[in-house]
Amino acid sequence: MPDKVKILIIDDEQVMRDGCTRILSRDGWTVITAENGHQGLDEIRRHPSEIDLILLDLMMPGLSGMETLERIREIDSNLLVVVITGHATVESAVEAMKKGAYDFTSKPFTPDQLRLVVRRALERRLLQKETEFLRRERERSLRDIAAEKSKLKTIINCMGDGVLVCDSESCIALTNPAASRMLAMPELQLLGSISSECNLPPELLTTIEKSLNTLDSGYVSISQELCIGNTANLYLRAHTAPVRSDSGEIMGSVTVLQDISYLKELDKMKSDFIAMVAHELRAPIATVEQQLNVILNKMAGEITEKQEQLLSRAKERTKGVLDLIRDLLDLSKIEAGKMVQYKESVSLQEVVSRVVELINIEAAAKKISLEFVSTSATPHINADRNSMEGIFTNLISNAIKYTQEGGSILVRLEDDNSFVKISVTDTGIGIKQEDISRIFDRFYRVKSSETRQIVGTGLGLSIVKSIVDAHLGSIMVESEEGRGTTFTILFPKEVKSAECAVENVLT
Amino acid sequence: MGKKILVVDDDPDLVETTSIILKSKKYDVIAAYGGIEGLEKARNEKPDLIVLDVMMPDKDGYTVCRELKADPDLSGIPVLLLTAVVANIPTTRFTQRMGMETEADDYIDKPVEPRVLVERIEALLAKQ
Repeated sequence: MPDKVKILIIDDEQVMRDGCTRILSRDGWTVITAENGHQGLDEIRRHPSEIDLILLDLMMPGLSGMETLERIREIDSNLLVVVITGHATVESAVEAMKKGAYDFTSKPFTPDQLRLVVRRALERRLLQKETEFLRRERERSLRDIAAEKSKLKTIINCMGDGVLVCDSESCIALTNPAASRMLAMPELQLLGSISSECNLPPELLTTIEKSLNTLDSGYVSISQELCIGNTANLYLRAHTAPVRSDSGEIMGSVTVLQDISYLKELDKMKSDFIAMVAHELRAPIATVEQQLNVILNKMAGEITEKQEQLLSRAKERTKGVLDLIRDLLDLSKIEAGKMVQYKESVSLQEVVSRVVELINIEAAAKKISLEFVSTSATPHINADRNSMEGIFTNLISNAIKYTQEGGSILVRLEDDNSFVKISVTDTGIGIKQEDISRIFDRFYRVKSSETRQIVGTGLGLSIVKSIVDAHLGSIMVESEEGRGTTFTILFPKEVKSAECAVENVLT
Repeated sequence: MGKKILVVDDDPDLVETTSIILKSKKYDVIAAYGGIEGLEKARNEKPDLIVLDVMMPDKDGYTVCRELKADPDLSGIPVLLLTAVVANIPTTRFTQRMGMETEADDYIDKPVEPRVLVERIEALLAKQ
């Protein structure tokens, strides 16, 4: 502060100007002087808003102190003026104060008296400056907030995703054109209405209510798919989360809506395409294979050994393609949600033992011992029977494929708390560590000299995983190269409470 | 021997190969190239057994089978369905073998292995 402080002394007496300059300069303040009112005013105009304090002599020839004061006030009413009265005339001091002077001191004064009055005035000046600074800050913050608000509003309005903000009373406080388009409701109809009263999809209302009544203090976001309109051609994905205050109290909820119709459409097109290709491919290849069968069975005449060999190879290839197509169709069915549609109470004990019984012929042909051990007391799960047969057939025939002659396969069924655990352990060639993470990927096949001869599509395990997922189960694999592999599947046990039973009947 | 088998399939190549397989076992083969034609020939020829394709454009195998079984004159004729598998993937071998879904007497997945086809046909005829 002392550095920047500038004090203007307006006094006609040279002695006074010099004296004051000396005293005040010693305190580190910058002092400028003027020997009459006009000069003083000129200085003020020359240094606008730089002068912190003016010491003004009231008794001056020419422009009087009082007039100078008035003019100063006209230039800047905030300027601090301390008047110096000549002969202790209190009346003129009072008049000057009335005209806006901040303080006065009377001649003669000691250096300390001068310092005191200047210091007091400068403190006042400092306060004045701070007040001014705060006022500007506040003004700027308000402007910033307004700009921020306007920016936010523009962003929200320009967004392709719909936004729906509810307050704690479930009243819609903010929305955007995308939301009103997706929900097929004018923005004005949405804004300010209680969410339950404006025809929002009922599932979304439930979610908003749930979100507003979240007990958990963590971040909870609920994601759901909504179907808008009777024609079901608009699919939305809604993400809803509560908004909390500093103290963790729920102030409202935010829902972001995404139009996923095109994704649905693409997905359906993809599945349709796969199904179509598979159908169109399968029929002719099945025909070719049957023709090869007839020739190979010498039903269309004798063939040479070489011809037989070549045709056998050709048949291997058609068989490979047919397997691939079958798996593709499985996959497109799973994606279309058709495969795991009919869930019922299924005894895994029953399913697995049937699969083992049927597949035992394959194992026996390769001199592999196949054993099934069940220690589960309650092996019932809620599942699609055919899918279950599919996954165990797949896992066990895989085990047979990848196990050398004379090996063994153990299928085990046991209880694991609220889960049923099924494991298939073989003594086969095992899976390399780097392959393990990818074996559930579609079309992934482990490539090595040992697997080259094994026919497969690389879809089997990905189908198995899709089915397991669709049954809320989990699948794990452990393997040691050269020693064998264990696949372990966990399925949640069938829950037999009254409530669930009712639900099952209803669905 | 000399039993009459009606082969119904919209794919002429499949009718031909199936016929070759059956003729090699000395069966008499009558061919029909669609569901409607198949039903007609079944009525006119009264075959001993019908090999029936599922996926046919004019009338699918399931429908043909239902109509055959609903006709008292024809309901006694065993029907062997040739499933294209793709029509009902999850209906794995169990359901198919156990004939749980339709009234057909047995099922075979396409493509047909000659030995399997012959075995199944012999088994069905033996039941008569």
